[in-house]
Amino acid sequence: MAPQRGEKRTLTPEAFGKFLRWLSEDDELAVREYQRIRTKLIRFFIHKGCTDADYLFDKTVDIVVAKVESCEQYQNPLAYSYGVARNVWHEDTRERKSVPLEVDVASPEHPDPKAYELELQCLDHCLARLSPGDRDVVTRYHGQRGRDKNPVRRGLADGAGGMNALRIRVCRIRKELRVCVVECRKRLSN
Amino acid sequence: MKSNLPDRSLIREYLLGRLDNEKDPEERLSHDIFSNDELSEMVESIEEEIIEDFLDGTLDSADKNAVSTYFLRPPERKEKLRFATLLRNHFEEPHQLIGTISDTRPSVYTNVVRESSECRAPIAWRTHFKTYGQLAAVVLGIGSLLYISALQKKTTGLESQLAQERVHSASLVKEAPILTSALIPLTLVADRSRGDDSQIPHIEIKPSTRRIIVDIALQGHSPGPFNVHLETKAGNGPIWSARLLPLVSSSGDSRLVFDLPVQGMESDVYSFLVSSPLPGSGSGKHYDFRVDLAH
Repeated sequence: MAPQRGEKRTLTPEAFGKFLRWLSEDDELAVREYQRIRTKLIRFFIHKGCTDADYLFDKTVDIVVAKVESCEQYQNPLAYSYGVARNVWHEDTRERKSVPLEVDVASPEHPDPKAYELELQCLDHCLARLSPGDRDVVTRYHGQRGRDKNPVRRGLADGAGGMNALRIRVCRIRKELRVCVVECRKRLSN
Repeated sequence: MKSNLPDRSLIREYLLGRLDNEKDPEERLSHDIFSNDELSEMVESIEEEIIEDFLDGTLDSADKNAVSTYFLRPPERKEKLRFATLLRNHFEEPHQLIGTISDTRPSVYTNVVRESSECRAPIAWRTHFKTYGQLAAVVLGIGSLLYISALQKKTTGLESQLAQERVHSASLVKEAPILTSALIPLTLVADRSRGDDSQIPHIEIKPSTRRIIVDIALQGHSPGPFNVHLETKAGNGPIWSARLLPLVSSSGDSRLVFDLPVQGMESDVYSFLVSSPLPGSGSGKHYDFRVDLAH
């Protein structure tokens, strides 16, 4: 049975080993496949507005591992895990409905000027590390507000193969920046 | 080859939770996103578009509500929102001090999104993966020479990267103190009608100061929004304007917390005029403060 929130896991190394074996006979491929399933399922739970994607992923894996342990045969681990994840999501949605929604979902804390400044500094650093092309695109993409941004973005889109392609490129650059800033902040905080 | 991806507006509806009760389209789209990496990337870009619209204040009330009650539930998305705000503030140009309500809105969210949410890198080795990774090491053993060899190669590469990172890190640490004085806090508790004229709050703007972090304690309880105008005490202005939502604590206290650039400010007495746009709510309250420019 899958654990409740905050409950200690009872997954054994043997069971998890069996699960990895089910993913692939090859050690490295099994770990990679596990990571791929994890990324996709976490993303699925986030898309569904779940507040604790990690927990729901754990719950999914627990169920899948239990099935694998009981020697049931499934051909496609990714598809099977996805099916279980959907059930876990449905269950979470039912539970969520009985809990009142937080009105202030983004309840703030008092701004910490030092931390904020550190982040801006890290952002400078990370922008400087982008390739000149990416830096130019992200700077121009975010350089304008309101209606002014539209002609600039249209111009960028022409050179990027269309608006969708531009948005995806900027999304990738922002992701790179986000990861870089998080790492930079960790380094400077330690 | 032309890819057959769903319409962006449909994905947007999906991300705002509006397909959750429509079994077939929800199932189909969820499955497609799960199995198609190209589509998954497109979904991410639409997520960011929603965040951008939220920050721009261009969402209609239904969408805004969906963002608040559904879209922003996961801490990962709150973190994205927070980062988008940081990015905006970075690209905010100095001449925007004299701005309009629409171009100062992002400052509102500087506070709203500065939440203690945990940051997650796209591949986060946490919870399960960390625990299971250790378990896997025990279970699967270390017998695979091929795997070890690959790891050794990776380690060599990582060591070289680490050395480079250390150099970067050292240079950043050297630069850090220079910027610690770039922000200056300003707390305003009493409005003009209740304050002592001779003891208004005072801040000193140094050459290194870039922004003022303002915290205004509001009297009474109101969900807002509030129009905030910065003007001189003599009433000249507005020099800066924004429409802000208050932060309401669990005990019901309301505050407006925001930041604004210092460019263009001079030694003078300034005032924030805080008013409600709702009809019949009066002309607003003035919160005075003195600025001294240090040379």
